[in-house]
Amino acid sequence: MNKASHVSRVGRSPSRLNQRRFRAERRFRRLGLLGVVLALASVVFLLGTIFSSGYSAFWRLQFAVDIQFDPALMKITERPTAEELQEVHYLALFRKNLERAYPEVKKRSERRKLAQMFSESAPDVLRELVLADPTLVGETRRVWVLASSSADMIAKGNAPRDIEEKRRVLTDQQLAWLDQWEEEGLARNRFNTRFFTSGPSRSPELAGLAGAIVGSALTLLVTLIISFPVGVAAAVYLEEYAPKNRISEIIEVNINNLAAVPSIIFGLLGLAVLLNFFGLPRGTPLVGGIVLSLMTLPTIIIASRAALKAVPPSIRDGALAMGASPMQTVFHHVLPLAMPGMLTGTIIGLAQALGETAPLLMIGMFAFVADIPSGVVDQASALPVQIYLWAESSERGYVELTAAGIMVILIFLVLMNLLAVFLRKKFERRW
Amino acid sequence: MIDSTPRAPGSKGVLADTLEQDAPLGSVQTVGEALLENPSVSCRDVAVHYGDKQALFDINLDMGTNEVLALIGPSGCGKTTFLRCINRMNDTIQGCRVSGTIKIDDEEINHADADVVSLRSRVGMVFQKPNPFPKSIYDNIAYGPRIHALTASNEELDQIVEDSLKRAGLWKEVADRLQAPGTGLSGGQQQRLCIARAIAVNPDVILMDEPCSALDPIATARIEELIDELRENFTIAIVTHSMQQAARVSQRTAYFHMGSLVEVGSTDQIFTNPRQRLTEDYITGRFG
Amino acid sequence: MENPIKGHTVESFNEEMQREHKTVLEMGALVRSQIRAAAKTLQDEDPAAARKVIDDDAKVNELDNEVAAHVEQILARRTPVASDLREVLTVSKIATDLERCGDEAGRLAKLTLHFFEHPDLSPNFQLLKEVSTVASFVEMMLQESLDAFDARDTYGACEVIRKAEELDGEFRSALRRLTTFVLEDARTIGQFVDVVLAVRALERIGGHAKNIGGYVVYLVTGRDVRHETLDAILRDLAK
Repeated sequence: MNKASHVSRVGRSPSRLNQRRFRAERRFRRLGLLGVVLALASVVFLLGTIFSSGYSAFWRLQFAVDIQFDPALMKITERPTAEELQEVHYLALFRKNLERAYPEVKKRSERRKLAQMFSESAPDVLRELVLADPTLVGETRRVWVLASSSADMIAKGNAPRDIEEKRRVLTDQQLAWLDQWEEEGLARNRFNTRFFTSGPSRSPELAGLAGAIVGSALTLLVTLIISFPVGVAAAVYLEEYAPKNRISEIIEVNINNLAAVPSIIFGLLGLAVLLNFFGLPRGTPLVGGIVLSLMTLPTIIIASRAALKAVPPSIRDGALAMGASPMQTVFHHVLPLAMPGMLTGTIIGLAQALGETAPLLMIGMFAFVADIPSGVVDQASALPVQIYLWAESSERGYVELTAAGIMVILIFLVLMNLLAVFLRKKFERRW
Repeated sequence: MIDSTPRAPGSKGVLADTLEQDAPLGSVQTVGEALLENPSVSCRDVAVHYGDKQALFDINLDMGTNEVLALIGPSGCGKTTFLRCINRMNDTIQGCRVSGTIKIDDEEINHADADVVSLRSRVGMVFQKPNPFPKSIYDNIAYGPRIHALTASNEELDQIVEDSLKRAGLWKEVADRLQAPGTGLSGGQQQRLCIARAIAVNPDVILMDEPCSALDPIATARIEELIDELRENFTIAIVTHSMQQAARVSQRTAYFHMGSLVEVGSTDQIFTNPRQRLTEDYITGRFG
Repeated sequence: MENPIKGHTVESFNEEMQREHKTVLEMGALVRSQIRAAAKTLQDEDPAAARKVIDDDAKVNELDNEVAAHVEQILARRTPVASDLREVLTVSKIATDLERCGDEAGRLAKLTLHFFEHPDLSPNFQLLKEVSTVASFVEMMLQESLDAFDARDTYGACEVIRKAEELDGEFRSALRRLTTFVLEDARTIGQFVDVVLAVRALERIGGHAKNIGGYVVYLVTGRDVRHETLDAILRDLAK
């Protein structure tokens, strides 16, 4: 150190220098903290919005109606066969019982308004009751049926109440009925099991996610079956066997690029190759799974190669020096050590695939399929697609369903990530 | 004799001049008794290339039965490369070519048709860092006999495991926890486990690549004692950076320098009166 | 001359080795001056100077202890090998031999005390002449052996060994000459014994110088030549 710089350093007070340094340090730390807080705030805001608008979808308003299962109204004999019971016009039975219960409602239009307070599913409820217990015929029973989506919305406060009648989803009279029933204990809220047991519906109060969940599960199963073995095999080959030369470098770069390709491109590929060229059935979990595995493969390969790289070379040397063949080395020593990392990568890849919408839209997995798919070649929908479709719908009842669907998909994602963490913790070995 | 006369000022000998140019020595006439009668391992004109770069130049060196041969030399001098020729571990390095003939008990091992798997069951190797498999102590030892199908029954395998651990001086310490993970042992125990693993397949030759560099002096002393015991049954070659260790454990010492074998001789002679100036400079700590 | 001790990567090792080297040379210079001084006291009939020579032997012993302690340190901490080890061993042995030479010089000085502190004794100067001749001869030998050590000069060392043979002859002829004095005058027998012992002490110094010459050959070639003939050594060196 020369003399001049030494002097200049003495000239400046070291405590002032330190103070400036500490101030800069604190500033820097606060900036970082601010970033974290902002990120957390937006996550909380996002989740808060979704949960606040979605939690109500898990509850449904039900109304009680006293139903007299009168054989005369049902137009059947005293001892009907199951077939006869099936054929009964339950909508008429329901309407007649409504008229009986509310005799003061005379006008035809008012009666219609009264009936519109209930879900379209009311006759189905009656049918199921009777079929389950034919002795009901001739009895009178209090039956709980789903309220219509409009009544549900008003009761939950999801639709505005204190506005002029024309713009309100319920008329003044319907509103009066709702209040009256709530007062008399003829209205109650129950858990919305339909949301998890039924497929999509044109009536929001009847729509469920079951079809989409099963569709997604089947799709992911196909993805897993295809992408895991292929991905692991590719990773093992590239990491353990492939000579390091220009060709393997090109392959490596391209695999990394593939991971960054927009997912809709994979959808286009599926449409062109799988549907149009190979003629596979459109909109099925099979095609969806194949497309998604193409998309997941790079992720799995990259994660698996990282896991293989993390296995210390001394283990390989040890095995080879004991006279193990390269394959024995891989299967006895390297793969068991790399497996937790590979599984983690696979699960992360599948979680990504679970949230993919665009490629599934391209290959036609957006059709309205009321049935729950029973196999990989049935037409099916998928969770994100269902959410997308609901978000598109204009009816107010679908808003809460959309949010609820997002909650479900988030929960699945969290579960899958937890599984990845669990697997890693469980199988991770120290060496 | 090179050192018998006083040197003129500034003269350092031909080899030292070459050294200062920092270029490979190329093929150098080895000084000392490199060749033996009835060698266990014999290497003739062994040269190793990594791609275009030559790492070893025409090494002629024998390893005798029941002796410990120490390979010493500065980093990058080729001693480890030479060691890895003998069990053909260099095969695993891409772009590495080994030429020349290497014979173990008169059987040529350095050609394409030689069976590498059976070779490695005859030539065990112990590495710088203890590398037990992340399996139980028992499975570590049993791995070699299993893949080479050396045993017919479980009892036989148990016996091999016990014998190997005893010979490696580890039995008393681990007899009651054979199913515990091998990675849970201390560094010195792990290294003895690796030695036990190597001798479980009853090899002829054991190669050791700086086996004590990661160990404390007490563990090192135990390994050195073990090496001395194993000498009775195996031919041992050890690469070491510790001159004292080479002096303590070996009967013969070979000094490598920049890919060439500069001098071989009895350890007694090398450490008291080396005949090559380079050897002298290295063992007395004169390399800058 | 290239200094063979130079060149260790560890500088302090160099310094320690050089210090040992210098201490031994210093010790050699001291011992030589002791021999010279002792011989001179005999010539000058100076008991006071003789007493000083005897006292100064403590300095030689001190240097010997110093060398021994440092050698022990180097062996323990540097574990020298090959030429370093030989250097350390040689230094240690030379120091031992020099210490003995110092003792022999003291013995010579005691002779002066013996002769000249008692005025009734009148020494025969013919006898004493032999002593100073041999003394200058062995002092030269010691000088040459230390020069050979400093220069790692094997041929110089061989020259010392050759001179030791010469000294042997010198010693015998001195003995013969001294014997004639005794034959002439039997009363000098007491003095004769003293002088023979003094010459014998000087002859021992020559032996130590020969030893040092042998160490130098060992230092340079690594061969222990103490018990070999000069011809055999020269044959080996010529190879």
